[in-house]
Amino acid sequence: MKYLPNLFLAATLLFVSCSDDDNTDPIPDNGGVDIEAPLTYNFERNGETTVSFDGQTTRIRMGEEVVGALLDFDNSTSESLLAKFNHQEGESNFENETLNASNKNLSSKTAASRDYFVTNTAETAVIRADFETYMEKQISDVFPGEFQAAEPGVAGQLADGSATRWVAPDGLEYNQLWIKGMIGALMADQMLNNYLSPAVLDEADNIENNDNEVLAEGKNYTTMEHKWDEAYGYLFGNSPSATNPLATLGDDDSFLNKYLGRVENDPDFAGIAQEIFDAFKLGRAAIVGKNYQLREVQAAIIQERVSEIIAIRAVYYLEQGRMALEQENFGTSFHDLSEGYGFIYSLRFTRNTVTGEPYFNRTEVDAMLSQLMEQGPNGLWDLTPGVLSDLAETIAAKFSFTVAQAADSN
Amino acid sequence: MLKKIFFILFTGLLLACSSDDPAPDPDNGNGGNGNNGGEGTTGFDRAALLANWADNIIVPAYQDFYPTTEALEVSVTAFRENPTAVNLEQVRTDWLNAYRAFQWVSMFETGPAEDLRFRARLNTYPADTATIDEFIATGTYDLELPSTIDAQGFPALDYLLFGIADTEEEIIDFYENDPTAVNTLVYMQALAVNIKTLTSLVRDLWQSSFAASFKANTDASATGSIDKLTNDFIFYYEKALRAGKIGIPAGVFSTDPLPQNVEAFYNQEVSKELALEALLAVQNFFNGTGANGGNGRGFKSYLDFLNTIKNGEDLSTLINEQFDLARLAINDLDDNFATQVQTDNIAMLEAYDELQRNVILIKVDMLQALSIDVDFVDTDGD
Repeated sequence: MKYLPNLFLAATLLFVSCSDDDNTDPIPDNGGVDIEAPLTYNFERNGETTVSFDGQTTRIRMGEEVVGALLDFDNSTSESLLAKFNHQEGESNFENETLNASNKNLSSKTAASRDYFVTNTAETAVIRADFETYMEKQISDVFPGEFQAAEPGVAGQLADGSATRWVAPDGLEYNQLWIKGMIGALMADQMLNNYLSPAVLDEADNIENNDNEVLAEGKNYTTMEHKWDEAYGYLFGNSPSATNPLATLGDDDSFLNKYLGRVENDPDFAGIAQEIFDAFKLGRAAIVGKNYQLREVQAAIIQERVSEIIAIRAVYYLEQGRMALEQENFGTSFHDLSEGYGFIYSLRFTRNTVTGEPYFNRTEVDAMLSQLMEQGPNGLWDLTPGVLSDLAETIAAKFSFTVAQAADSN
Repeated sequence: MLKKIFFILFTGLLLACSSDDPAPDPDNGNGGNGNNGGEGTTGFDRAALLANWADNIIVPAYQDFYPTTEALEVSVTAFRENPTAVNLEQVRTDWLNAYRAFQWVSMFETGPAEDLRFRARLNTYPADTATIDEFIATGTYDLELPSTIDAQGFPALDYLLFGIADTEEEIIDFYENDPTAVNTLVYMQALAVNIKTLTSLVRDLWQSSFAASFKANTDASATGSIDKLTNDFIFYYEKALRAGKIGIPAGVFSTDPLPQNVEAFYNQEVSKELALEALLAVQNFFNGTGANGGNGRGFKSYLDFLNTIKNGEDLSTLINEQFDLARLAINDLDDNFATQVQTDNIAMLEAYDELQRNVILIKVDMLQALSIDVDFVDTDGD
């Protein structure tokens, strides 16, 4: 079955565009000017690009160094990992000197969106502490098993096909929790609930400045244009081509780009990448054309689709983990479930555009993670396949895809 | 608008279904031999197929393989006790004999072999020479750990027998005179014992119990023996043969060709020979025969029974012709694939393409005809 936009979005598009649901066609705006998205993400003013997302590229690259360090048994310590997460300008926390010189870091943007966390800093603190705990447990619970076989309650290696997985006594790969959790807490949260939010896009005199093309100081872009580009950067910021990133989709990072690529490669969802990319282009063109209503429609498409990526991958890993568990293939199962854990965690940062809330709130996410980890004293080792099926159904029920569609990549 | 899309989709599904279904069952499904389980019953004697696979092909393949691992261990022991050029030559001969025989069992990664991670432990390449050197130096290692698969098996022996020094003279000199040779020979012996022990375990388990349960599990479901071994066969063909032996060295999955990733890299003479051996083993298994023996019950006879036609020709004929084309393409390559990818990688890619064409015929057309679902997905690579 081919991928269909959900009814809500289709209806919204129809309403706004009257007779045409094809994003790339001209759509009359309030002022009677046709807004047409360019073929690539290429926007210029006075012959120079107006697109900029350095900060996102920097953070993705910091994340990539953490990914490597989480399995660097010989060199990583709790301190070195936490220092990468909480990097301070000028400290030599990374191999890449440009990153060391940066005044940006990962932790300050973790669970830090305007819409979800501006008056919710207590939860921000809890979430950041979770990510620090994952790093610490990778060192304290996983690393001691470097040269031994894992068993229930014992850290060590498990075989996953020809790959080796290193798990904690509870069966978790804490590096996977960190990586997949970041997709929600950093990338999706910043994109969906911060930079695509009217609270940020329309902040202060952004609309007036954008209407009059008043540029940010010393820049070639308006502030509103830049905020939109920063959302774009969390998905495509590490692509070799900023204007045509779909050419290398899936290969450009270990985070959202990678998993949009994975979902796109499932024929059940083919087209989702183009849909998201088109929405970014048209929304950006709408800002240039000063059509904020059209911009909002595109933001909603991105919010729904990126939320779906997270949910689809959560269900995918729960199902893959269940099938491997049924074969008592623990290495494969626990690897999938560790990734699934991170994607379930990330559900808290998704955005349902009808409610403006996440599809699953913190309490609901915590309940699902408890189901995953608390069937017995040894975490994943005590799971039964039925628990995983139930969790997959619970997640899919809130979205417009089925467990079966997400369960495999064909 | 949505209705229209649904209509188009629905029409598409109908068209897709009607053109590629197996021909009508000549035997009306419920054929009376009682060996058919569940859906997809066709009257084909599934029990007889499994019996041929287990009794005439798989168990004999392990029985043929085991003595070669025994001979390898004997010659390694002799070499360890008396490291001469003559004894080294004997080890090398026995290594190649065993490596060749291994190509006839590698595809059967089910049951005991799967539980023991047999293929990964005997033939993961390229070997991790830094780890091997470390294991030799420290004498501390556990070959059962998943992380040590690239420090054991035939590729690790390949390194010790052909790659421990740059020239033939230096290798002999190393084993005759180098102070670290003693430890190296201890490790070499551990590797040979490991190969022999794993092989005897798999063979014995097949003989003592697994063959019986394998043959009894005639279900036409994802857990039935035919479905599982068919998936293992395709996984092997796609990942180990097509990709491992040809595609990865040719750079199909990377930016540049990877000559150091050929099978038996240090030997420098037999990567083609091993690939051809594996291809023959695969084609024979498709046709229901082993190295010697087998009554022809296999994928070919199953497809012929179902009268599976593609583009007006028997699918089994198309698949066999495609195996032959792949063999011709591989035959044209240098004996050493590392040389091949460095001198004329196009020819290597052409061989890959011929192998890939049969992935489509087998994984798509054959599985559809046999009503078998693929049970593996591409791994994440992370």
